[in-house]
Amino acid sequence: MDLQNQQRVIDAAEKYGAENVVVLLGSSDAEGAGVYAETVTAGDPSFAGPLAGVSLGLPVYHVFDEAIKSEADPRVWEEQISMMEMVLDTAKLAASVANMRDQHSKSKL
Amino acid sequence: MGKLSGKKLIFLGERDGVPSPAMEACFAGSGAEVVFSATECFV
Repeated sequence: MDLQNQQRVIDAAEKYGAENVVVLLGSSDAEGAGVYAETVTAGDPSFAGPLAGVSLGLPVYHVFDEAIKSEADPRVWEEQISMMEMVLDTAKLAASVANMRDQHSKSKL
Repeated sequence: MGKLSGKKLIFLGERDGVPSPAMEACFAGSGAEVVFSATECFV
C-alpha cells in the first residue's frame, strides 16, 4: 500500500477510534486484496511504511463481500460496480480479505 | 439502520478493480461517513 495512504489510515484510526472505522477494498486480485487487508489489520508485511509493526486490527472487507454489497444502493451498484463484478472472481476476493479479517481484525461489523 | 450506519469509512479502491468514487457513490446513503478515500493503480 502507498506509504502516504498508510499514514492516512493510521490518522483516521487514531482520530475516530479503530472500532469505529471500517475499511472497504476494491482490489482486482485476491493476492493484492490480502496484502491490503493484512496491512490494515496486522501491519505492513513489506515493513516499508508507517504501518510496519503496527497492528491496527481494523475491520476490513472487500466491497464484493455479501455483507457489504447488501448495504449498497442497488441502483448505483448496478451502474458503477456490476460490470467489474462480472469479470472479477468476487468469491475469491472476498475470501482472501475474510481470511485476514478472521485472523487479525479486532472488531467486525 | 444498516450495519455501516454511524461508521467511518476508508475506501481503498483500485483503478483496475473497483475505484473508490464508485464505492463512495454506492454507500452514500448507508449512514456512514467517508473519512478517507484513495484509488491506487499498479502499472
